[in-house]
Amino acid sequence: MKGIGADEAYWQALSAGELKLPQCSACGKTHWPAVWRCGECGSWEHEWKSFEFSGTIFSWARTWHEFGAAKEFGLPYVSVVVEIDNANGRRLLGTIAGNAENIRIGDRVRGEVISVNIEDEVIPALRWHLDDKPSTATKFNSGATL
Amino acid sequence: MNRASQAKVAVAGVGLRQYKRGGATLPEQGILIRAIIDACEDAGFNPADVDGFVSYGDDKNEPVRLMPDLGTKELRWNSQVWGGGGGGIAAAFGQAAAAIISGQANAVIVFRALAQGNSGRMSAAVMRHHLNDHIMGAGLIAPAQICALRAQRMFEYHQVPHSVTEELVKASYYHGAKNPEASSFGKELDLEAYRTGRWVTEPFRLFDCSRENDGAGALLLVSTEQARDLKKPPITLLGVANGASQGWGDLIENDTDYASAGFKPVADRLWEQTGLQPKDIDVVQLYENFSAQGIASLIDHGFCTYENVAEFVKFENLIADGGKLPVNTSGGNFAQGFIHGIGTPIEAIRVLRGESANNVANAKTCLLAGGPGAPTVSSAIFSVDDR
Repeated sequence: MKGIGADEAYWQALSAGELKLPQCSACGKTHWPAVWRCGECGSWEHEWKSFEFSGTIFSWARTWHEFGAAKEFGLPYVSVVVEIDNANGRRLLGTIAGNAENIRIGDRVRGEVISVNIEDEVIPALRWHLDDKPSTATKFNSGATL
Repeated sequence: MNRASQAKVAVAGVGLRQYKRGGATLPEQGILIRAIIDACEDAGFNPADVDGFVSYGDDKNEPVRLMPDLGTKELRWNSQVWGGGGGGIAAAFGQAAAAIISGQANAVIVFRALAQGNSGRMSAAVMRHHLNDHIMGAGLIAPAQICALRAQRMFEYHQVPHSVTEELVKASYYHGAKNPEASSFGKELDLEAYRTGRWVTEPFRLFDCSRENDGAGALLLVSTEQARDLKKPPITLLGVANGASQGWGDLIENDTDYASAGFKPVADRLWEQTGLQPKDIDVVQLYENFSAQGIASLIDHGFCTYENVAEFVKFENLIADGGKLPVNTSGGNFAQGFIHGIGTPIEAIRVLRGESANNVANAKTCLLAGGPGAPTVSSAIFSVDDR
């Protein structure tokens, strides 16, 4: 796998169907991307803490052009940045189930782990589902006519 | 660089060879040699006396391999700015200036060369630098997609109106249409085509994206003193800043000021270094990989804000014919051509010399705003020699 930084435990957890992010044992900061050393307090000790697969859409982009992403996504597909609940605003990347025509920043989502083929390797990835309840994003002007 | 060293280094010559993507008449290294010789001839400088080279964006042309063709007597400086995108473009001038001011080299070429036959698609090359399973697992494998995520945040959350990107793209094509060297020469932007162009990644349609060219560009830097004895009037490097501040970088989309282009701390340093403010800038060469990132760059540099961006980014303000802040007088990456941005500093020099296809009367200062949204970004200010 090609992760970044000290994120090996993230992939192990995700493969087991769990979401874990590292928290500094000394100052409590949730780090993402994962670090070996806390740049805030200098501690080398981290605890991998479990989080719910739930959060809020921070941004999204719907891809129509064939860039050569994993075939599972089809076209078009929506990539999202999700702010994870109770994680000090840390964000994870993933895709949205379905075409999500009415997706808006601020929408609530729940996630699951899917398998994606990347360059002959199967990796776990996050797939998010929009909650059915009314969007919290109505306070934002959508800006775009999409 | 500090104020004491300001304007000690100048651009003495420029060279640009541009072709359609996949249409270069020579392999990459050959085009680059031509562009470097062009820059030396422009300056009236013996290419054999060039003793330093700087590039950016993972350029593959190691300077030592250029020596036999250039007749280089001695290579004293060769370096490249870290980063896979155009974020390092202005920083390359900082390295060249550091080499010259510290006495480690006398004549430094800043260059970038790219031919699809040799380096493949530029967008793919840029992304190879960044790919990891976090972004690939989200289907993100092209710069357009990452920039689209940030643009969507700017449009939807910060409520920047979509109309501003159209104004910027229109101004670029207005200039490109009048520039015989531009890929869009003779063709102004067809607004209907812009508005209905195919989606690449929402919120970007086709004409929101720069499209790649083959080619090479080179700029020759020497001390300002030496430049005064050469063929063309020196254009001095007044200031340059590069980098990232805490909360910005290669953070798998966890950057703090997410919808920005990452320039705020860099721009602050540039203004502090030069003692100038946005109002002192006469013309801007704005690296626009994508339309929204060009807008974010203007905001980051302090020309406008999320609140007043629509009043500022208007076609009539952005064009060379009397606009308050002419932007991309050659047509920029959108309409002149896109060789990983190397055309933008070359146009900065040309417009200050009065050699542009779209000159700006009495222009004394030109901001080069480098590749926006990259993990590290850079900007520079060029000025006419005020001796």
